[in-house]
Amino acid sequence: MRTTGFHGFLFGDVVYVTREQAANDGFLIGQLVGHGNARMSERVSVFGEVSATAQASGYALELERAIVRYDFADQFKLSVGRYHTPASYWNTAYHHGLWLQTSVARPEIIKVGGRFIPVHFVGAMAEGTLNAGKTSLSYEAGVGNGRGTVVTRAGDAGDVNRSRASLFAARLRPFDNGFALGGSVYFDRVEVDPDSYDERIASGHVVWDRGAPELIAEFARVDHDPRQAGQKSTSDGWYAHAGWRLGGSLYQFKPYVRVEHVDVSMTDPVFAQALTDYRAGIAGLRFDFDALATIKGEYRRERFGANADYLNGFYVQVAFAIATAGVM
Amino acid sequence: MLRTRSYTAMLLLLLVALIRAAHADAQTTASTAVAIVVHPSTRIDNLDFDELRRIFRGERQFWPDQKTRITLLVRAPVAQERKLVLEKIYRMSEEAFRQYWIAKMFRAEVATGPKLVYSSEMARELVTAIPGAIGFMPASSVGSGVKVLKIDGRLPSDPGYILR
Repeated sequence: MRTTGFHGFLFGDVVYVTREQAANDGFLIGQLVGHGNARMSERVSVFGEVSATAQASGYALELERAIVRYDFADQFKLSVGRYHTPASYWNTAYHHGLWLQTSVARPEIIKVGGRFIPVHFVGAMAEGTLNAGKTSLSYEAGVGNGRGTVVTRAGDAGDVNRSRASLFAARLRPFDNGFALGGSVYFDRVEVDPDSYDERIASGHVVWDRGAPELIAEFARVDHDPRQAGQKSTSDGWYAHAGWRLGGSLYQFKPYVRVEHVDVSMTDPVFAQALTDYRAGIAGLRFDFDALATIKGEYRRERFGANADYLNGFYVQVAFAIATAGVM
Repeated sequence: MLRTRSYTAMLLLLLVALIRAAHADAQTTASTAVAIVVHPSTRIDNLDFDELRRIFRGERQFWPDQKTRITLLVRAPVAQERKLVLEKIYRMSEEAFRQYWIAKMFRAEVATGPKLVYSSEMARELVTAIPGAIGFMPASSVGSGVKVLKIDGRLPSDPGYILR
């Protein structure tokens, strides 16, 4: 088998943070992310993404994605591996490429290492796109391991039970102008001692992702239903993000705002102790000072917990991308 | 009588001017239109503009028979025909175009981006050599060995052709 094409990328960022009541402010080295694509033959492709994240004790290496895909047709492609779960638009639109996304960080409901929506999915996926005139409908359907023993992680070394996770996601682009409407459902069984819980996640999004305006609004509802005794718990989260690429001589500037809202059920054993209600208002400005490098300044006013005080924070992030030769 | 001759002469001059203007316009049209060219074995002669946009944006990666993968060839920056394709097909700036393809590859939607070509001759040679290839070049540079596609039923020489 021969490799007919390879492209590689490196994404990285450095952040300066100052927050109220925070002990670890200052300069932070963010994630360094390496990504590679290779077309092995006419129909077989391989994708990989590895990250190195700065931590107090050193750098944590993580295999973010590893996918082998066979393209039967535009309407049907089959793959196996480790994915970003398509239960959220943001999760599969920006992955770990902070240079790609407008804001400094991901929304709370889909943050890296978070547990509200499982960020990763290990299993098999079918996907494709159907086109008719200006309308296109894309879909993804998968079966996999779901959450692992540590519920923030995917079941990389096998499923924690005999109940596989399954998901279906679809996105409609009716006008070929950047407007998209999508949704997904996700089912799994989660093990949290001493019980197991049927997990259902339903999410929806509305997006405008072409041209000067950038609008992303997502809503997700997570249900956990105990298998033995107890009541079902329901938690909701949403965000609305809006940005605008300025025109003319100010083309490099992109102001943006975001509002976030997470209501966590305090009776939910899967989220208990680890997640709290969350509110945030964010305003920022992105300046693309180079074709593959950007600086973002962001103000956040956020609250962790239903009765907690709002805290102010200011972030400055430099993010960049490096692409192998031949990528445009 | 004299007035009639004057009118006739003016009409003739006007007619000659119109014919020359039309001829000049035709020459401009032929030199500025961008032709979409494909490998001669490609089993289509016409694409509607929506389909053309999908192919150039990498949203459609196989020809309709689903057997042949589309290989997209894009002229390197600065060329006039690239500017026209970015404006009319992609509706993107150079920066947005670059970001679009990096994002598309990073999302694993495509394994590779377009292949860059540095001249019309190179585009013609690669389109001729690679089954499934599609590219573009000034209509005046199209030679033998490639098939010129109609877009919305029109060839580059036809009035109303969209890529000019």
